[in-house]
Amino acid sequence: MYQYTEFDRSFIAERVNHYREQTTRYLDGKLSEDEFLQLRLRNGLYLQRLAPMLRVAIPYGTLSSKQLFALGKVAREYDRGYGHLSTRQNMQFNWPELAEVPDILADMAEVDLHAIQTSGSCIRNVTTDHFAGAAADETIDPRPYCEIIRQWSTAHPEFEWLPRKFKIAVTGAAEDRAAIGVHDVGLRVHRSDQGEVLFDVYAGGGLGRTPVLGALVRSELPIEHLLTYLEALMRVYNRYGRRDNKYKARIKILVRAMGVDGFRAKVDEEWAHSKNGPGTLPSAEISRVEAFFAPPNYTEQPDISDALAEQRLANPKFSQWLQHNVIEHKAPGYAAVTLSTKATGVPPGDVSDTQIDAVAQWAADYSFSEIRISHEQNFVLPHVPKQYLFTLWQKAQAQNLATANARLITDMICCPGGDYCSLANAKSIPVAEALQERFDDYDFQYDLGELNLNISGCMNACGHHHVGHIGILGVDKKGSEFYQISLGGHAGHSELAPSLGQIVGPSIPRAEVCDVIAKILQIYVDLRIADESFLGCFKRVGMAPFKERIYAPSH
Amino acid sequence: MHHLINKHNEEWQLADTQSSDQAQIEWRDAENWQPGQALKLPVDAEINAQWSQASIIGIDFPALTDGRGLSLAVLLRSRLHYAGDLRGLGAVHEDILHFMVRCGFTSFELPESRDPEVALSCIAPHKQYYQSSVVDPLNQFDRV
Ligand code: HEM
Ligand code: SF4
Repeated sequence: MYQYTEFDRSFIAERVNHYREQTTRYLDGKLSEDEFLQLRLRNGLYLQRLAPMLRVAIPYGTLSSKQLFALGKVAREYDRGYGHLSTRQNMQFNWPELAEVPDILADMAEVDLHAIQTSGSCIRNVTTDHFAGAAADETIDPRPYCEIIRQWSTAHPEFEWLPRKFKIAVTGAAEDRAAIGVHDVGLRVHRSDQGEVLFDVYAGGGLGRTPVLGALVRSELPIEHLLTYLEALMRVYNRYGRRDNKYKARIKILVRAMGVDGFRAKVDEEWAHSKNGPGTLPSAEISRVEAFFAPPNYTEQPDISDALAEQRLANPKFSQWLQHNVIEHKAPGYAAVTLSTKATGVPPGDVSDTQIDAVAQWAADYSFSEIRISHEQNFVLPHVPKQYLFTLWQKAQAQNLATANARLITDMICCPGGDYCSLANAKSIPVAEALQERFDDYDFQYDLGELNLNISGCMNACGHHHVGHIGILGVDKKGSEFYQISLGGHAGHSELAPSLGQIVGPSIPRAEVCDVIAKILQIYVDLRIADESFLGCFKRVGMAPFKERIYAPSH
Repeated sequence: MHHLINKHNEEWQLADTQSSDQAQIEWRDAENWQPGQALKLPVDAEINAQWSQASIIGIDFPALTDGRGLSLAVLLRSRLHYAGDLRGLGAVHEDILHFMVRCGFTSFELPESRDPEVALSCIAPHKQYYQSSVVDPLNQFDRV
């Protein structure tokens, strides 16, 4: 993991002081509501009508045990005993008192955490693969480059006041678990035959009202030019992105207006002036940052295949958990474990302070004190020796964190929706709960295989419904809650290129959602060939057979 | 009226707006401007090489959230190598000053309604920054 230097520490401490002073000025009436809004957003504080919220940055989703314990303390002392894992690998707390936020931030700073740029029209916390550094399919660990981007984008003087928020994601594995196609900038890092670190740069992706997949604007950008190129791209966006209409202000709209070629040419023209300039990364700096992410001290592990086989036989649930929530690791004898927050009856991503503390302790005991947060809103322990899997599973069960459903239908992504969010058209959590109850049967889920179901309460798409294999979107129809179903979206978690879901047909009332989803699943089961996945099947047969049978008059 | 903030002997100060050299700047827009005169630019101006000969350049911010003026300032400094006084005009806000300074601004017209003491107190909230900038070409990487 990256370790803060004296500089990082003093920078964060100065930022807390500055924000404390801004809060005081606001409370003294020296800053207006609108002025303070801009400042508090850039320090992670939202004031929702229903729920004030503080979003803490978890840089590229990586945490230490010590940091997670500190977050558990925040949940206990400032929230009502809960934290929420966000789809951008961050952690959110509800109900913070505005006047107390500087204290929370000071507590966070003690463990090298902050909430800088977690909201507002600026470069947001960079995200990546939650299995980075662990996954067997990884070609290159993206975290050093995420850290370089984190440093560069923190309080960047030129790009703090963009037309709209700006999200960067990086992946370095065969399977894109960072969903780079739906980010303002997506980076695929790979190595040339000569061992040089290169980036393919995608721009203009995003969800929200106008879902778009990013376009390739530069391939094989050498690492030393990463920041000068990003700077040129950001400058083009900062200068020419629309500011007159916030729904048309994301970079995707600019890329579309200029055309991908036009946008690329403009960035290249800008870059020609700064390429090889002061922002060029010296190789000493690249190696310095890479060194922080050297693999932990893996030790030789005993062969425990016999013991595991016995444990599996005696505990079918453990066996299911191994199959679904544990993945192959780069290092022999180790595994990466997903601790699912998606137990039936719990809002996706919600975790209690006790659970947070427990995960922090397990990481200390079994995973080199390292934790990840996945964009599917689960915890991940990235480096667990296989010999401890059974013990870990037993402990996770006791904390309701061992639901064996990673990447299955009940591992849904779901936004807060109408229960908490004033922008919602419809509730989303009760829909998620109803679906979880309906499809709780594990044999059924396992038979369905990998299936992402994503729910958003309105077209802002916080629940990423456009990239769910099945997407559910809350819409308002003459004042009552309706839901629009889409099929075939996916964020890139497969060999297939990412795609946006297609709408099945007219929206349906809440009471019918479970039945319609059940029909869709049945159609898939009827049509699939051998062990074809839902997504694979949909790509093969297309929308027609689904549409036909979903809306067929019932008899 | 407004407060003028500028640098004196390397220190930020509240300047005397009545003093002879600050009293009457005659701003010109780009169309009516000649080398040697004071040039006032909107944030969406496209740069022109001649401008490096301005006596002073002001960039007029329509809102504190409009970052275009920051990119324009960087272009004036890095592309045109403009070396004269660069002044923030319009919606200048105390909490944006430190970003503006690092984009090359050297003076500010702070609206009358803002407290200049507060502005001076938060003009440099950090001793050092992560990135290189037009005022500090040292790399983030040379720092460590
Ligand atoms: C309850 C209060 C919330 C409100 C009012 C809210 C509001 C919004 C709005 C207005 C957008 C659209 C932005 C745009 O199009 O540029 C958005 C996007 C987004 N929100 Fe939320 N949100 C809330 C909660 C959440 C939560 C809890 C999460 C995480 C679980 C989340 C994750 C996201 C993500 C990932 C996007 C980006 C989608 C994209 O790429 O465009 N939001 N949100
Ligand atoms: S998708 Fe809509 S309802 Fe859901 S959290 Fe975002 S803004 Fe609120």
